Amino acid sequence: MAVRPDNRLLDTPMQEVTCRRCAARVEVRKGSWHQTSVQWNADALTACEERRAATAGPGPNGDFFEACASLRASIAEAATSGLIPVLDDGY
Amino acid sequence: MTAVQDRDGIRRIEAEAAPARFARGWHCLGLIRDFADGTPHSIRAFGQKLVVFQGEDGSVNVLDAYCRHMGGDLSQGTVKGNEVACPFHDWRWGGDGRCKQIPYSRRVPLRARTAAWPTLQQDGMLFVWNDPEGNPPPADVTIPRIEGATSDEWTDWRWYYTVVDTNCREVIDNIVDMAHFFYVHGSFPTYFKTIFEGPVATQIQNGVGREDVRPPAKEGQPKLIGNTSVAAYHGPSFMIDDLTYHYDNMDLESVLINCHYPIDANSFVLQYGVIVKRSEHLPGDAAEKLAIGTGDFIRQGFEQDVEIWKNKTRIDNPLLCEEDGPVYQLRRWYEQFYVDVADVTPEMVERFEYEMDTSKPNEAWRREVEANLARRAAAEDTPAAWAAGQSV
Repeated sequence: MAVRPDNRLLDTPMQEVTCRRCAARVEVRKGSWHQTSVQWNADALTACEERRAATAGPGPNGDFFEACASLRASIAEAATSGLIPVLDDGY
Repeated sequence: MTAVQDRDGIRRIEAEAAPARFARGWHCLGLIRDFADGTPHSIRAFGQKLVVFQGEDGSVNVLDAYCRHMGGDLSQGTVKGNEVACPFHDWRWGGDGRCKQIPYSRRVPLRARTAAWPTLQQDGMLFVWNDPEGNPPPADVTIPRIEGATSDEWTDWRWYYTVVDTNCREVIDNIVDMAHFFYVHGSFPTYFKTIFEGPVATQIQNGVGREDVRPPAKEGQPKLIGNTSVAAYHGPSFMIDDLTYHYDNMDLESVLINCHYPIDANSFVLQYGVIVKRSEHLPGDAAEKLAIGTGDFIRQGFEQDVEIWKNKTRIDNPLLCEEDGPVYQLRRWYEQFYVDVADVTPEMVERFEYEMDTSKPNEAWRREVEANLARRAAAEDTPAAWAAGQSV
């Protein structure tokens, strides 16, 4: 049962962004200034310094990595500099 | 891939039949206390009939329900010692799947072995391992412990079961569906992010109260400010929601379970449970009452889901707007449980993050809440008007 492609990616596909801290390369898409999709792969996860330093939080679901702040900053920079498109309608 | 748009420009809904195989993973069958009464229990799951019984030694066992002798239904039999006895000819089956004795026979025939399902008893719940390839559960595929479930500082499980006549993908889709939390569940999400990685799908959600759904607090009562939640599917069917309600004078901690097991390709048993942490702000049996109240509130939410599921169609090609969640990527993650282990591809398990834009949705929802309140004020503030508001 093959999963179909996301209709939103047909118009604007994911694009590579390199983290300025660890050089991890991920695929990114911004559906708006506030929306961000990040596709990691095994190499990027291994490279990510914040990921390696992360420890599990409290609670039964605590063992997850919420986000890398350095990557977030790199994505924001890629968006503001026009390196990746932002589907923006003024929000 | 076929075209989804006809020449007339009309988009067609496409859907393949629900998969004939069932997800690999741990599935919660319910609370141990509900199986621990010394009688065999009949469970329809994974397209089969199972028998669940607790032996005198306390272990809870899950076997194929049909006796390998003449096909009797063990779930209609009796528990004798640590074995379940068939009602047809009293053949005795142990929790390991082996026939232990046949009282009227000198010996048990060779190869008198039936299917025994690996079980896990944890935090008051009974889990079975389903694997179409027949492999035992790997040591690192586990369900996390829930500290509150075995602590006196928390209430006991308040637990609910219901049968839903549709394929269980519908309940999985919900984890990424931010907008339905407003339209179906009366929530108001203000932050929403989902992360898929390995066998875990996590949803981080913050929200505020809706005055058009719950009346504002009266003078002297705690005022609800909002809620924060981390919910995660650990495998294909078991979601833990670590949910805190924030009031002006206290935090209310709760853990919700949302889990299911498939009966067959087109029906499943939906279960949900709640425990609430006791607090100095909840004297006497107030925590128990709150667990009941929270459970009933969740039940209403699921009943609304079920109403949608009963009437909707299966759709493999949902048409998504930018403010929708990662439905396709969720289904790609979910697919890992429906293929052989050797066929799990990197993209099914590689980390994917999706942070939602709540600005446009929140603007629309604030307008809608205000319109509901204004309409209610115009219709006078009667209980009937409150009830009408809840169905919006």
